[in-house]
Amino acid sequence: MEWYWAFAFLLGMIITMMAIGVPVAFAFLTTNIIGWMYFTGWDPGSILQVVDNSTILITRFTLGPVPMFILMGSIFFHTGLAIRVFDGLDVLFGRLPGRLCFLTVAGGSIFSTLTGSSMANTAMLGSMMVPEMQRRGYNKRMSMGPILGTGGLAMIIPPSALGVLLASIASIDVGRLLIAGLIPGFTLAALYAGMIAIQLWINPEGAPAYDVEPSTAKQKIKVVCTNILPMSFVIFMVVGFIIFGWSTPTEAAAIGVLAVMLLAVSFRVLTRAAVITSVDGTIRVAAMVFFILMNSTVFSQLLAYSGASQGMIEWATGFDVHRLMVLLVMFFVLLLLGMFMDATSMMLITVPIFFPLAQQLGFDLVWFGLFVLMTIEMAGTTPPFGLLLYVMIGVAPKGTTLFQVASAAFPFLVCDTILILILVMWPGLALWLPSFM
Amino acid sequence: MDTIIKAYNGLIQYMRVASGILVFLVFVLIVVDVFVRLIGLKPWSYSVMIVEYALLWFAMLAAPYLVRVKGHVFIDALTTLIPAGPRLVIEKIAYTICIVSSLIFTWYSGSVLITAIADGTLDVRAEDIPLWVLILPLPFTFALVSIEFVRYLIGLDTMYSDSVAKREGV
Repeated sequence: MEWYWAFAFLLGMIITMMAIGVPVAFAFLTTNIIGWMYFTGWDPGSILQVVDNSTILITRFTLGPVPMFILMGSIFFHTGLAIRVFDGLDVLFGRLPGRLCFLTVAGGSIFSTLTGSSMANTAMLGSMMVPEMQRRGYNKRMSMGPILGTGGLAMIIPPSALGVLLASIASIDVGRLLIAGLIPGFTLAALYAGMIAIQLWINPEGAPAYDVEPSTAKQKIKVVCTNILPMSFVIFMVVGFIIFGWSTPTEAAAIGVLAVMLLAVSFRVLTRAAVITSVDGTIRVAAMVFFILMNSTVFSQLLAYSGASQGMIEWATGFDVHRLMVLLVMFFVLLLLGMFMDATSMMLITVPIFFPLAQQLGFDLVWFGLFVLMTIEMAGTTPPFGLLLYVMIGVAPKGTTLFQVASAAFPFLVCDTILILILVMWPGLALWLPSFM
Repeated sequence: MDTIIKAYNGLIQYMRVASGILVFLVFVLIVVDVFVRLIGLKPWSYSVMIVEYALLWFAMLAAPYLVRVKGHVFIDALTTLIPAGPRLVIEKIAYTICIVSSLIFTWYSGSVLITAIADGTLDVRAEDIPLWVLILPLPFTFALVSIEFVRYLIGLDTMYSDSVAKREGV
């Protein structure tokens, strides 16, 4: 079979099943069974290979951080440590115009370093900030936009659960990819803050100022010391342990869990109920991801076995176009997929095709991994089906429309695009920190 | 019949608890490993292997529970645009696909398990372990997963009712 027919057959089968609502993991499983049988001449024995490969691929130590980072974020939420950060920042911002928008970006960036899940980040920020913003007379654009933008930061700022997953599937260095996201992540947060300032300058009524109880310098110092600085202990334990070589990136995730637990103990908020709820939340998300991963990695092998991957690469590199043009095409393909697929599924479908292609074109794979994460983050807020948009509708006041949410997200998509352009022009922004590893 | 259903539901819940315990075990093993190394001692040679096995076991033990609580990711953006009647037919097709593929996987993983036990095959990692320990959860899990999808197929529940945020557990 020609590579393009194999490609259309396999991808068509997956997409058709996903379109009729078959869970992603089972769409991959069914395609694997049919695909392996077809390409081995209907030999039922080939399914034994599917079983063997499925087990081997998900029993890799490098996948350990996925449940660990999810557990870390869960404990952070369920013990109430997240709220403490917000309370602290709230005092610090004083009477700053649009303070709740800036509070969202600052708090969201800190959350991102402590959670690693965009979905959780958006839901948390949305349910916490939108009611307060509405009460203070903020319009919908100013209340939802910063949350949608900042919610997605968790994909880039380490530790990112999706980053670990991407690195594992694409066989690139987990630690280097995570660290590569640090500077671009905080640059993006700064771009978001700049965008809020511009929006406020154009329309100050969008986020009216309101009186807050003034706090003294002493109170501010106290709140920084008690509510914000302790969180840097978690960041140090995760990022520091990797940088100082005390633990591998895989192990650092578990160290992060330990750090959050120690922090919760020191604040006397680590309860049995919080731990049980966190572990339960973790198995729900992590087991789902592993189930998909187990089937999708076999799918990657199937793509290679059928000749579809190699044919696709040869075809794509056969054109006499600049490699940035190919990058642009990949960017739009990811955005397009993000209109109807969740981040994990789109990553699993595109990685086996895009990464070998990027390598062939001479892109640094860590840089390219960050580019993919950035694009997936954007795709999550791309209408009509970006998942973060729906999470926001779920937590926004009744009557909020998809159009309102999407138009609120738009300026922040512009910031994402600017960052991607910066990364294309100065790859060093992402690759400088990993060069020390 | 009630007793069987009760026992079955209990089994799903116990598997969920066991899955949670395994996740916690992974955390403890990794942390102990790191600190043992930091103080200059030699880490336990089995810990990496147990973590690797636990990654498969925790996902398998939680799988039937995930189907029960609609925890598997799916895309309903297109099906929600279809009128109720045809949508129901499409739903049933989706459930049937899941049941058939799970049963095929049950059959073949069971076959791999029996062969691994009969041949005494070893899984060669940091330490050698009988391969059946790795394969053991697969046939049982996929059989239970197919039963869970049968529940949807016969109309005891529908998988396509919750909001995205609720499904994602946030």
